[in-house]
Amino acid sequence: MPVSTSPTDRTSDLPTIVVVGHGMVGQRFLEALAERGLTAAAGTTRVVVLCEEPRAAYDRVQLTSYFAGRNPDDLSLVEPGFMERHGFELYLGNPAESLDREARTVTARSGETFAYDTLVLATGSYPFVPPVPGKDAEGCFVYRTVEDLLAIEEYAKTATSGAVVGGGLLGLEAAGALKGLGLDTHVVEFAPRLMPVQVDEGGGAALLRTIESLGLTVHTGVGTQEVTAGEDGSVNGMSLSDGSSLATDLVVFSAGVRPRDQLARDCGLTVGQRGGIVVDEECRTSDPAVFAIGECALASDGRVYGLVAPGYEMAQTVAEVIAGKQAAFTGADLSTKLKLLGVDVASFGDAHGTAEGCLDVVYADSRSGVYKKLVIGRDGTLLGGVLVGDADQYGTLRPMTGTVLPVAPERLVLPAGAGGPVTLGPSALPDEAVICSCHNVTKGAICEHTTLPEVKTCTKAGTGCGSCVKVIGQLLPQSQDRGLCGCFSYTRSELYEIVRTLHITSYAELLDSHGREAARGGDGCEICKPTVGSVIASLAPTLGASGYVLDGEQAALQDTNDHFLANLQRNGSYSIVPRIPGGEITPEKLIVIGEVARDFGLYTKITGGQRIDMFGARVDQLPLIWTRLVDAGFESGHAYGKSLRTVKSCVGQTWCRYGVQDSVKMAIDLELRYRGLRSPHKLKSAVSGCARECAEARGKDFGIIATAGGWNLYVGGNGGAEPRHADLLAQDLSDAELVCLIDRFLMFYIRTADRLERTSTWLDRIEGGLGHVRDVLVHDSLGLCEELERLMADHVAGYRDEWAETINDPERLRRFVTFVNAPDAPDPSVRFTPERGQVKPDLDILAGPVLAVRTLEGTSSR
Amino acid sequence: MRTQTENAARVVVIGAGMAGARLAARVPGVTVIGEETHAPYNRVLLAEVLAGRYAAEVITLPPAEVRRGVRAVRIDRADRLVHCDDGSAVGYERLVLATGSNPVLPPLRGLGTTMPDGVHAFRTLDDCLALREAVRQHTGTGVRAVVIGGGLLGVSAARALAECGAQVVLAQQGEHLMERQLDAGAAGLLRRHLESLGVEVHTECRVRGLRCADGTVRAVELADGYELAAEITVLACGVRPRTGLARAAGLDVRTGVVVDDELRTSDPYIHAVGDCAEHRGTLYGLAGPALEQADVLAEVLAGRLARYDGTRALTRLTLRGPPADPAGVLDLAAFGDSRPLPGDDVVRLADATRGAYRAVVVRGDRLAGGVLLGDLAAVGTLARTWEDDEPLPAETSLLHLLTNDGGF
Repeated sequence: MPVSTSPTDRTSDLPTIVVVGHGMVGQRFLEALAERGLTAAAGTTRVVVLCEEPRAAYDRVQLTSYFAGRNPDDLSLVEPGFMERHGFELYLGNPAESLDREARTVTARSGETFAYDTLVLATGSYPFVPPVPGKDAEGCFVYRTVEDLLAIEEYAKTATSGAVVGGGLLGLEAAGALKGLGLDTHVVEFAPRLMPVQVDEGGGAALLRTIESLGLTVHTGVGTQEVTAGEDGSVNGMSLSDGSSLATDLVVFSAGVRPRDQLARDCGLTVGQRGGIVVDEECRTSDPAVFAIGECALASDGRVYGLVAPGYEMAQTVAEVIAGKQAAFTGADLSTKLKLLGVDVASFGDAHGTAEGCLDVVYADSRSGVYKKLVIGRDGTLLGGVLVGDADQYGTLRPMTGTVLPVAPERLVLPAGAGGPVTLGPSALPDEAVICSCHNVTKGAICEHTTLPEVKTCTKAGTGCGSCVKVIGQLLPQSQDRGLCGCFSYTRSELYEIVRTLHITSYAELLDSHGREAARGGDGCEICKPTVGSVIASLAPTLGASGYVLDGEQAALQDTNDHFLANLQRNGSYSIVPRIPGGEITPEKLIVIGEVARDFGLYTKITGGQRIDMFGARVDQLPLIWTRLVDAGFESGHAYGKSLRTVKSCVGQTWCRYGVQDSVKMAIDLELRYRGLRSPHKLKSAVSGCARECAEARGKDFGIIATAGGWNLYVGGNGGAEPRHADLLAQDLSDAELVCLIDRFLMFYIRTADRLERTSTWLDRIEGGLGHVRDVLVHDSLGLCEELERLMADHVAGYRDEWAETINDPERLRRFVTFVNAPDAPDPSVRFTPERGQVKPDLDILAGPVLAVRTLEGTSSR
Repeated sequence: MRTQTENAARVVVIGAGMAGARLAARVPGVTVIGEETHAPYNRVLLAEVLAGRYAAEVITLPPAEVRRGVRAVRIDRADRLVHCDDGSAVGYERLVLATGSNPVLPPLRGLGTTMPDGVHAFRTLDDCLALREAVRQHTGTGVRAVVIGGGLLGVSAARALAECGAQVVLAQQGEHLMERQLDAGAAGLLRRHLESLGVEVHTECRVRGLRCADGTVRAVELADGYELAAEITVLACGVRPRTGLARAAGLDVRTGVVVDDELRTSDPYIHAVGDCAEHRGTLYGLAGPALEQADVLAEVLAGRLARYDGTRALTRLTLRGPPADPAGVLDLAAFGDSRPLPGDDVVRLADATRGAYRAVVVRGDRLAGGVLLGDLAAVGTLARTWEDDEPLPAETSLLHLLTNDGGF
């Protein structure tokens, strides 16, 4: 009786396909029929399926996962309702017993006879049991079906040790299962290494070591001579070809499989010498009405494929042929990736390097159990490879087979972190590269979709062995939203353009007019507030807005440092850096700094930017300190701001015997010109008076080096964690040319950079790189230069010292109190202890060693 | 009868090879008895002379006082005398044996007590000059040369002969080239390099005999019946320490002359250094250790405290590229035992596409051996680790041994 639909009068008139076998390939064939409307439900075809096993098709590849707690139903490959929906007639536990090709009938074990128009044999394979004496003793098993597993599990309850004959793929799976059942497990492999088909000698060695470390005993290079049994007829040991013997309670034969072609032989279909039903490229047997697919078929390239992927391809081919279309199966890739006993093993392409003149690239580390080999053709193309122990790159490497690798092959076999990062991503693959080899899906086909579920549904990619899912994820479009944050869908440079052209002078105005719908009318976030604040501040003189960063709404936009025009330090105190342009300072001014530091008990230190930093001021002391400093002619050094910090200089021509220009004067001029300029990130500069470069100008955002003929301008340098030497933008500039070019450069950077993007990363990121920047700034290719210069002129004209502005305005001064409700009370948590004759923060009185204050960068200035 | 010199003990050195010459340079007033008629020279560079890269004079070592062309024939330990083949006798207070080693003559049919014309060893400057002359005589036609032996010496000779225009066949009995230093993978790359120079390499190829006519070699017969026609045959089948004098004098000799950590033989007045000395069971057969032993012995003879506790040096070899690709130099460094035993850890990094091969063998927690070929970037780290012989950390990957020098 069929478990699903019974034949009805209506269906019995339809052309009939009988499928013998309902394994993985049989089920795939049914799916392929359903996709083509070749079903009873579609009214086109009656399909009868005869299945020997008591259960419908299940994932045999994952068989061992039964022991990991998955129950047999979890392994099912048949969606609930699949058979019924399409009207497939599935007979379980009722295999085909005989064929009558003349009458075109199949007789099942139940005695029922089914007439067919088309017969598809998907009988699969059976485990090969070597003809050794005692192979049928009680306690001998094979490892092929769920029923085998259940029997092994039951028998293992009374056993303490087990042996697996065969160290191939399935043998190791079986060994893992026995180990998992708590047996002392041995693997006996006739070949000199494990998995001889898939991996080469080195790979086998790496595998051996890892598997032995799991507690399994491996005997390679020995054959099984006899299985010995006790008086009760049950297994008690094995004798091996090297004369040794092995005590074991249970033997699992897993020495390969053979095609199940008996049914075909019996009815006179042509079979291969070493088994397998001979088929042509359409998978048709010697009888045109009979097809054979999967492991029972001897394909037109003379091979029997024991892998599921080629079987699937054959299933597709036959369905296509039956549907009246053209299709051919001419052979398949034997690539595999598996996890055996927790060890990744993969092989692809010409893994054994059989091609003429091919070269190996190998990394093998027996201690970590890793073996990776790539086979490279004479012309540099990747021909294949073996990966053991670490097969992460399988997903990208296999599809690159047949192409020339874009990086040195050695870098692809080294573990991550050695020899530099390998940035070979799936984006490097050609469109026709097959990503999912189980379902033969190309990169091009995957890229037509946008989400993983969509890819899985529409192409089936990633639903087979699953090894390609990671790569698919990398191929799918990343989130397209380039917006600044949750409040704005525009980038910083787009916002800059909006603010500039629409003359928007407040954050709220910008948010309400150009924010995301959901964010409008809200308060914004910690990303966009300082960013927009900086943009408005950069453009303030041009927009006619107040340049003072603490005015009105602007104040609320700032980070803590900008908020108090000083740098927050770890105990909640602040540091103060007055501007010392070019590092040039008079003795009188030095004395003032000394007196201020002494009077307020501040710790002083010379910074890397040729200035003096005073640490340890409380918020309420800031205005008093500034007043003293401003009176002596100092102004803010903007050490707290995303703005110009310092222009460092060497002593230059005036004093130095080597100097060719007055670097100090140029540094002072530049520092005074660009002081207070708000930008996407801090800006640093330096001027060297000769090519000896004592001011280290090439480590700066813009650096100037004197030449006999004028000045060379370098841009995009950086020190810090990711050092970068600045690139030469223009050479031998006069003073005026230099200033003009820097004007353009800074304004162009401010206009186009992303938030918190230093000039170095900006220059590397911007399309066209340095060449483009030079075109725009030197050759005025975009016609922007005049405007850039005007913007800078506005900035220079509109500059005012923030400290002076603050202390001269009682309203602004009110901000500088620790407790809004007790303006005169100092912060009691800001305390100090002495060290080396100065003070240092007393952190013990704080709740923890690090204050939970969020800043966007290190707070001390350089 | 004892010949008394002034205060310093009279030191006599037998052998003016690299170790002997080094001693002469380090110990003032020694008498060196040298069999060869040439001034002492740097044997390591003989292949360069053969290749025509250097003239013979160029490889001369710093001048030393040597009685050239004189062979010591007997040591009289009781009277502390060395008898020479010119009839003279030299008295000593301390005697140093620096007799070096002799090329092995393989048991070949046709190779009797006399060497047929065209058959050469490759050990001395005379060998080298004779070979060079033989090649020169055949120029134009491209002399056919067969090198028997694929060790360090055979590989050097084959490359040098190819460089000066010979058609070279190298016959190696073992499974691969330079078995003492290299594993199979590295040897494969070396083989490719030699082949790119035009050398035909046969491994697992046993030579059965030499076919001669009129006392001149015509062909080399292989065990499988093939014959390789040859005008020149080079024997590079290894060396044996020259221990005849020591043995006849009754000193303790195993394979070499047995010495202790002060390089002293079983006779406290006699020392031995270099290829002929066997220290803690090891015969080095390399120039580096020979020089190191000579340096230590110089200290010992000067009465200072010094001990030789073995050399952990790398074997280096540089093979120049073919004329078409002069940049294609193959550098090689090997040390210790690069063939793993069961249970050893091996880290291997090989890139045949650029002719690079790197491997180390770790036994327990110590570096046991290794080989670098084609890419010697890691040689500094490796040499230090090998010389230090410290335990290697168990947790960290061994890969850093091969890539630590900044990699590539």
